[in-house]
Amino acid sequence: MDKIKKRFTLLNAVVEAMIKQPETIKYPFAAMELPEGFRGAIVFDPDKCSGCGLCVRDCPAEALHINKKSREEYTLLHYPARCAYCGQCEDSCRHGAISHSNKLVGATTHKDDWVLVFKDSKASQE
Amino acid sequence: MDKISIPIGPQHPLLKEPLSMMVDISGEKVLGGSLRLGYVHRGIERLAQQRTYVQNIHLIERICGICSHVHTTTYCYAVEALLGIEIPPRAQYIRALMCELERIHSHLLWLGILAKHIGLDTIFMHTWHDREMVLDIMEEVSGGRISHAANQIGGVRFDLDEEKGEMIRKILIKLHSQVEGLLDVIESEPAAIARTKGVAPISPDLIKAYGVVGPIARASGVDVDMRRDASLPPYDQLEVKVITHSDGDAWARTFVRVEETRVSLNLCETIIREMPRGDVVVHAPRRVPEGEVIIRSEAPRGELFYYLRSDGSDKPARLKVRTPTLAALSLLPVQLSEINVADIPVVLAGVDLCIACADR
Ligand code: SF4
Ligand code: SF4
Repeated sequence: MDKIKKRFTLLNAVVEAMIKQPETIKYPFAAMELPEGFRGAIVFDPDKCSGCGLCVRDCPAEALHINKKSREEYTLLHYPARCAYCGQCEDSCRHGAISHSNKLVGATTHKDDWVLVFKDSKASQE
Repeated sequence: MDKISIPIGPQHPLLKEPLSMMVDISGEKVLGGSLRLGYVHRGIERLAQQRTYVQNIHLIERICGICSHVHTTTYCYAVEALLGIEIPPRAQYIRALMCELERIHSHLLWLGILAKHIGLDTIFMHTWHDREMVLDIMEEVSGGRISHAANQIGGVRFDLDEEKGEMIRKILIKLHSQVEGLLDVIESEPAAIARTKGVAPISPDLIKAYGVVGPIARASGVDVDMRRDASLPPYDQLEVKVITHSDGDAWARTFVRVEETRVSLNLCETIIREMPRGDVVVHAPRRVPEGEVIIRSEAPRGELFYYLRSDGSDKPARLKVRTPTLAALSLLPVQLSEINVADIPVVLAGVDLCIACADR
């Protein structure tokens, strides 16, 4: 008897599945809910960046690059296609200039999207 | 009847990862087999020598897509041992919580694959549906479904607040009841028992001769579990029930993993209940003093072994990883004899292959 009872334990899940909405999300046409702390696209705040290069040093995927002429004059580049979205740069930055948003990063057909200029100190001074 | 050799893999519907096998058959009987490995070798150990200790956390995480967290945990414990720092108790508990969640989802994934191979597609759907709940917890707390990036040298990256703890507890209670039902079905389903009982038994002597570890060893009555034996923190404070079975066949391997899922669910609840308060990270220097260390931990598939040598710089001089699957694979040709052709999927599924781990 116990054995037969055990074989019907999945019935609850079947009933639940019948009355529930489909789990599939029609992405990108419907909004996809991602948790607050999801490590998605990188957001950058140029005002906070001091050009210390700590993020570049610790990035495991070499997805960040800094061209440094002097303390004030530098460009910080990000290559989203190389990025592993690991969160190390956010961790390493002592000024809170770099962080993850919970937005997904889609594929791109534009070459320009492969390199993001996070900060060009010259351009920001002009 | 004549002997025929059939190549299976490296790409084959039976296998989720690339592995090449040559199986000798005569009629319905399998006479033996041989293996070829290395299709997903990425040279991670060598790569690790060229990167800093911090960068290596994310490299090591990519050794495996299922047990990624236990790899980084073991690596971080190794670096911390060389640095001579002890991480806060709360961080130890969070690491262990993630390890146990990982074990649950790994075992559920494996159970689904086994069920699929023996024709129980309903079980496959249910296990993978339930596994999703575990992945949801991990995504919610760490920010990534598979690559959790939860560890850093000196602790963990995130803390669990009251709200998150409550959320995990709620999901775990639901998961527990669902998984209990599922496991009951597997344990009483005549088809599952008929397909696995008495298939490819392994003797404890063979297990010891080949150095096989984890659930496969425990299913043959070899009582090893690094959570208890190596007592890495916080497992030295937690009581881990080690499940063993004496039959050593495919059914015993199923039983052990099913029971381990239950143990891990209970362990998760204990960890959340007993989690100490405090910091989750301590400062760790970038340069690691000269020395070498060995750390062993229990991955979902068995003992994970890390050897780390430092020459005093910020990059490791040598990192050696021994994953449980490699030993289990060495036993596969032995298992592939004296069975029926139809049992090959059951034997393969019973090993719980992780080729990415074995090849690195
Ligand atoms: S998320 Fe990781 S891979 Fe991406 S830029 Fe930051 S450190 Fe580099
Ligand atoms: S983003 Fe942060 S770590 Fe990177 S250069 Fe700027 S201040 Fe330094």
